[in-house]
Amino acid sequence: VNDRSASDVDDFEDLFDNAPCGYISADGHCRIRRANKTLCDWLGLTCEEVAGRHFSDLLSVGGKLFYETHFAPMLRMHGAFQEVALDLETRGRRKLPVIVNAVEQRDGDGRPRAVRITLFAATERRRYERNLLSAKASAEQAVTREQETGELREQFIAVLGHDLRNPLAAITAGIRILQREPLSDRSRKVVGLMEGSAVRASVLIDNVLDFARGRLGGGIGLSLERNKPLARVIEQVVAELRSISPHSEIRVAIDIADHVVADHVRIGQLVSNLLGNALTHGAKDRPVTLDARTKDGTFELSVANGGEPIPADNLASLFRPFSRGEGGASQPGLGLGLHIASEIAKAHGGTLTASSSQEETRFTLRMPVQPDES
Amino acid sequence: MGTAFELHNAKLIGSGSRTMMLAHGFGCDQNMWRFVAPAFVNEYRILLFDHIGAGGSDLSAYDLSRHSVLDGYADDVIALAREAGIRGGVFVGHSVSAMIGVLAAKKAPELFSELVLIGPSPRYIDDGDYVGGFDAAQIGELLEFLDSNHLGWSHAMAPAIMGNADRPELAEELTESFCRGDPEITKRWALTTFLADNRADLAELDARVLILQCQQDVIAPLCVGEYVHKALPRSELVVMEATGHCPNLSAPEETIAAMAAFLGRGRLAS
Repeated sequence: VNDRSASDVDDFEDLFDNAPCGYISADGHCRIRRANKTLCDWLGLTCEEVAGRHFSDLLSVGGKLFYETHFAPMLRMHGAFQEVALDLETRGRRKLPVIVNAVEQRDGDGRPRAVRITLFAATERRRYERNLLSAKASAEQAVTREQETGELREQFIAVLGHDLRNPLAAITAGIRILQREPLSDRSRKVVGLMEGSAVRASVLIDNVLDFARGRLGGGIGLSLERNKPLARVIEQVVAELRSISPHSEIRVAIDIADHVVADHVRIGQLVSNLLGNALTHGAKDRPVTLDARTKDGTFELSVANGGEPIPADNLASLFRPFSRGEGGASQPGLGLGLHIASEIAKAHGGTLTASSSQEETRFTLRMPVQPDES
Repeated sequence: MGTAFELHNAKLIGSGSRTMMLAHGFGCDQNMWRFVAPAFVNEYRILLFDHIGAGGSDLSAYDLSRHSVLDGYADDVIALAREAGIRGGVFVGHSVSAMIGVLAAKKAPELFSELVLIGPSPRYIDDGDYVGGFDAAQIGELLEFLDSNHLGWSHAMAPAIMGNADRPELAEELTESFCRGDPEITKRWALTTFLADNRADLAELDARVLILQCQQDVIAPLCVGEYVHKALPRSELVVMEATGHCPNLSAPEETIAAMAAFLGRGRLAS
């Protein structure tokens, strides 16, 4: 039995001295009574040299300061500190990064009786933490730069869109004048195509401007119309699109019983975007249908077209700006139309949703007939 | 109470005709005084507070330019002392707050007639014949430590507190705030503190002063305490048995005894 306990003690001594971490047993004021061999080897000192020193004597100057201002107070107040990063200073004045935990043992009156300290070598970890810190700093810089560039880009878009409006207005006015002149059949056809192009260009500019304004913090503002019928606006947009797509069929069913309080220009823009989208992407031999009705205080407007369905995975991203579906760059347009339409729906307290199957692809606006005034 | 009290998370405890204002040093907060304050509650009205950026102070009150010099902290002390109606009171400042108290007492002499400076240093960096204890590179090293440890802090504070198992209410309160300053402000405060040179401000201070100097204080070594003593004609220097930089925590009895003796002598003299 005696042999056994003697070997237990040996084993315990070995665990203390050769543990893969540093151990310090100190008095209540952190004066070292005994340090293990692992720690003394790290320091390049004998265990006799380490005993009697104060714990902070082992630290680099920065560590000493930090120890005094933060960790010694914490140890006294909390009875422990954990995972503190410190640097040991070795005999050769080399710095050895360590992670330190300490607990204070107290007597019955709460006075410190002893302090137990463990130290873990942390060279790699410290390097990693420094890398993290500098990566964080450079990421923050990159974000700031990116924000600045983004803002500049959006300002550029806003100015460009605005400046494009004037020459486009001149072109449209020119087309109107030409339409009143006697023209050959061929010229009339060309002028008709030019008109269609001008309308499309104008829609694109509106979308770009709205997008830029939204990004610059302006948001989509509404000027609500309470008394005029919304049906007129919808019919007007349909007529416009029919005139520029004479070979497509647009079937319209409007049943608006209640007064819909809405921004008529915006709803017109939304309808124009949805119809334009359906005419562009739908099968040319299938009609586009527009259905607008009020029911139980809700205004519902949907536009459907036939053709290849949109994959379910893509439905969710349709309303993101610059989303152009599978066709990618080969598809016409900026991919802003649906985004703006969805923003217009939101501004009216409504939603714009999409569904797609073999039979049809359908976009549906649902919004309250009366805006929520609260 | 008015704004300065709220900004500084200030508390008045105890009762007495005189007020003792206790100012904590860099790194911690008013909990630093937990072992010292109870000894004076019967004789003094005690004003505890956190400097802006520390403990439970209102971080939004931190002013980049005002708090970039100790003078700004002195103005905070003056505002708070006036709000508490202090006249002829006692100011006790630990570490950097010792110099903050000197600055405040010179700007508003009516507030404090006695100062207790625990581990004061008017300048931490050596300068010619003056020995502050540090060179500029070593102060840079401290700032680096603040960087590598500030992640660890906010974590270490919360559930890992082990002490005070017998007084859980204490542990909980401490967990909230102790040593838990805003990392960015702590870093700036370190700069303000360790780069300061307030040697010239020691001249012509009217108040009686007690300097409490610890043994083997790496932050404010004995020669600095002696320098302050020499520069302040109405000062007493007590070199304590205590070691380190925080005798208010490590040797509260000795700290209390030295303070009480000094304040008692003041009463006899007047």
